[in-house]
Amino acid sequence: MINFILMVNKQGQTRLAQYFQFLSVKERMTLEGELIRKCLSRNETQCSFLEHRGYKIIYRRYASLYFIIGMDLEEENEMAYLEFIHNLVETLDKYFENVCELDIMFNIEKAHYILEEMVMNGQIVETNKTQILAPIHVLDKAKDE
Amino acid sequence: MFHLSQMDQIFLKSLADVVRTSRTTSQYDKLTFTTQTIADIKNEISSRQESVRYQALLKLFFLAMEGNNIRWAEFQIINLMGSADFQLKLGAQLAAHLVIDNQSQGLIMVTNVFQKEFKNGHIECSTTLSCLGTIANKDLSDSLLTHVLKLTTNTKPLIRKKAIAVLSKIFTINPLNIPGNLEMVIQQLQKETNISVLACGISLFCSVMKVAPKLYPLFLSIVYDQISKQKSNWLLIKLVRISNKLIALEPRFQGKLIEHYSRLLNQTNSKSLQYELIYSIMKYFKNHSQLYESAGDILKQFLNHQDPNLRCLGLECLTHISTSAGLMEFQEQILESFKKSDYFSKLQILQLFKDFTNQQNFQTVIEFFLKYSDLESNHKIIESLIHIITKDKFINVDDPEKLLLMYIPIIAQKIDTIDNAMRFKEMLFELLTRVPGLKVYSDQLCNQILQTYATQSDTLQGPTLNIVQRHTQLKYSLNHREIIFKSLIMIVGESVKLLKLEALINIIKFLEQLNILNCYESSLSDIDSLLFKIYIQIIKIDSQNEIIPQIEQLIKNIYNKLHNISIVKISFFYESLINNKQKDQLDQLFTLYEEDLPPINLEAQKLIKPPESLNITQSFQIDIEEIEKIKNSNNEQIEQKPIVQQIVQVEQNQNDQEDQNIQIQKQDENEEELKVLNNKVDSIPKKVFTINRDEELPPGVNQNDINQSKEDE
Repeated sequence: MINFILMVNKQGQTRLAQYFQFLSVKERMTLEGELIRKCLSRNETQCSFLEHRGYKIIYRRYASLYFIIGMDLEEENEMAYLEFIHNLVETLDKYFENVCELDIMFNIEKAHYILEEMVMNGQIVETNKTQILAPIHVLDKAKDE
Repeated sequence: MFHLSQMDQIFLKSLADVVRTSRTTSQYDKLTFTTQTIADIKNEISSRQESVRYQALLKLFFLAMEGNNIRWAEFQIINLMGSADFQLKLGAQLAAHLVIDNQSQGLIMVTNVFQKEFKNGHIECSTTLSCLGTIANKDLSDSLLTHVLKLTTNTKPLIRKKAIAVLSKIFTINPLNIPGNLEMVIQQLQKETNISVLACGISLFCSVMKVAPKLYPLFLSIVYDQISKQKSNWLLIKLVRISNKLIALEPRFQGKLIEHYSRLLNQTNSKSLQYELIYSIMKYFKNHSQLYESAGDILKQFLNHQDPNLRCLGLECLTHISTSAGLMEFQEQILESFKKSDYFSKLQILQLFKDFTNQQNFQTVIEFFLKYSDLESNHKIIESLIHIITKDKFINVDDPEKLLLMYIPIIAQKIDTIDNAMRFKEMLFELLTRVPGLKVYSDQLCNQILQTYATQSDTLQGPTLNIVQRHTQLKYSLNHREIIFKSLIMIVGESVKLLKLEALINIIKFLEQLNILNCYESSLSDIDSLLFKIYIQIIKIDSQNEIIPQIEQLIKNIYNKLHNISIVKISFFYESLINNKQKDQLDQLFTLYEEDLPPINLEAQKLIKPPESLNITQSFQIDIEEIEKIKNSNNEQIEQKPIVQQIVQVEQNQNDQEDQNIQIQKQDENEEELKVLNNKVDSIPKKVFTINRDEELPPGVNQNDINQSKEDE
């Protein structure tokens, strides 16, 4: 089960955080700060998997943004979640057209909505980009009308 | 679309404005900015205009990401969830997980809101289901269960998939909801064709298995059907994962999967699916050689892959093999991948070898890791090697002599942390205790290790262990080299009786010319003790007094150097004995060092007699009258105390003397008995070494000897 999904930039600023288990604000800030420090200290020759505070962490860097997933330790197949991160980025890119950090900052509710379409209750429910973006396209049409 | 009035447009700060201001605000003004923004949001979120409330909601999102507590907005957000405008409702539902937890009081209000939303269009229904999946607690899930179950039969796959995903949370929170409802869902899934809905169904089964594993027969057939016909990699990964749990519960299921696993393994190019299959096969299909071999081939590819992620996964998979024979098959690939791996992967490999090294690959493993240790992972490698050597009382060591003379000096050179130095010291002591004949090599070992220390410029570098000596309260610091140095000095001191004259002379000459004395100030007392033991032994061997004058001169030179080295003037305990030797003193000390300390009589410890004056039949109940009597008698005694004290003291002295005499007599008797037990140290070391793994008996003592002594008594 996925416990949290984060998008954090190199300066340690969180651009998107979705937690599937409740943590207090202080716990979240501590966790996010520690995670980004760990990710920044790793180089490209090292693998994208590590353990931290009882979570299995899978991360991937896209430009200045780190996409971080925290899972239960019992979960296996980190590769699948690494591919899920790539799927998420491709979906965001398809919607925002050349997505960047600012798109997520200024359209935070849409980024959350896309993520909610893909992950529910810590489980991946949808990976097809067309299916994921269908509801949000409907909303955008209604908004334009 | 919201229509803002002109006045609103002028004064309202949008999300974009807040983001821009936040990015340009300095750290010192950040708090002021945040406080001001929160104050604005509090006003805006209670506004009657929905456009204003929507902007406030977006700004709340942003503040939450920045690390600000927005739980004060719980009521407002729940209020917005019931709004007529969908965009506002959606924003509130997305923000719900930031402010609502299982204990929130506001969840009571949400039930009616959700019940209303389930009747709306499919987009609104799906967002409501997503929100429910995030914030559901026991009460909410119980009250909405029937609605969610109805939605699992909805015509839209979007609704069905989300309803099933919410059900997995409901079943996890309250397993009492499972009976009856699960069967209904399974019936629907058997007719289902949509992959996303099926994937959610499989996730539901995984959740059910966590809380009620015995219900697995209900969905065994559906899982098997899907494995045989599915092509979606995401779904297949979930199916293989749930199959692992099913095989653990129902081993017969394994046989049915062989064909499908072989097909999938040969056909798929997806690395994540391959990894899932390999993991499953390595764990559960060891008896099926063909499948196991194909999985092994792919695993080898993973281990040799350029991508560090795949190498890491390959190593993780190997931890589940759980036999050393299995590991041996992949040993070459693992060791090759070690050379290219990062720190985290190296730790994985070291853990593997810690668990699965045996006698066959012991030498290969040790030699490899000593050759390929680098700065970053050196301390972990040394820790692992010491663990491998000492594992199960040196079970992997078949040639202790080689270990002591070849590998241990190299390990000692590579140690760079205090923890490892302590482990090394314990390992060395244990090894020399369990293998009696090895003590003969202690001088060689000492020379080899200390020679390398002498060639490097040693000062107190790195972290130090602070020690306060109990009896002198001297404070000093030890680094890792000094810990090893001290342990070597002690080992040589203990093995002095086993060393030949030449070896003893070499040690003294070695210490006399060694530059490291400058660096090991804390060990000067140990050197003092060693010199004395060597001196006593040489006197014993050199009965004709040919070499003793030369040795005494060397020792005096060493003491002169030691005095020059120590900043604080310290007196060496044995120096005066050596310099001002008198025959009587030396003879007494000679006899003291002649024999080994006898081991404690194990049988005596079993019987501890109570004191003779103690009456164990007497009651312990408190008698108040007696206590008063004792008090009165004590008061009288206090008055007569000085006279009584003198009398008592004299009597005590007499008693002490008598006790001492009795003790000396007993000691003599014990010594005679225990001499028989102590004559077990071999004067000539044997080449064939056996390791004494019997922890209960001290070295030199056999169970037969104890039994004999029992019979004698």
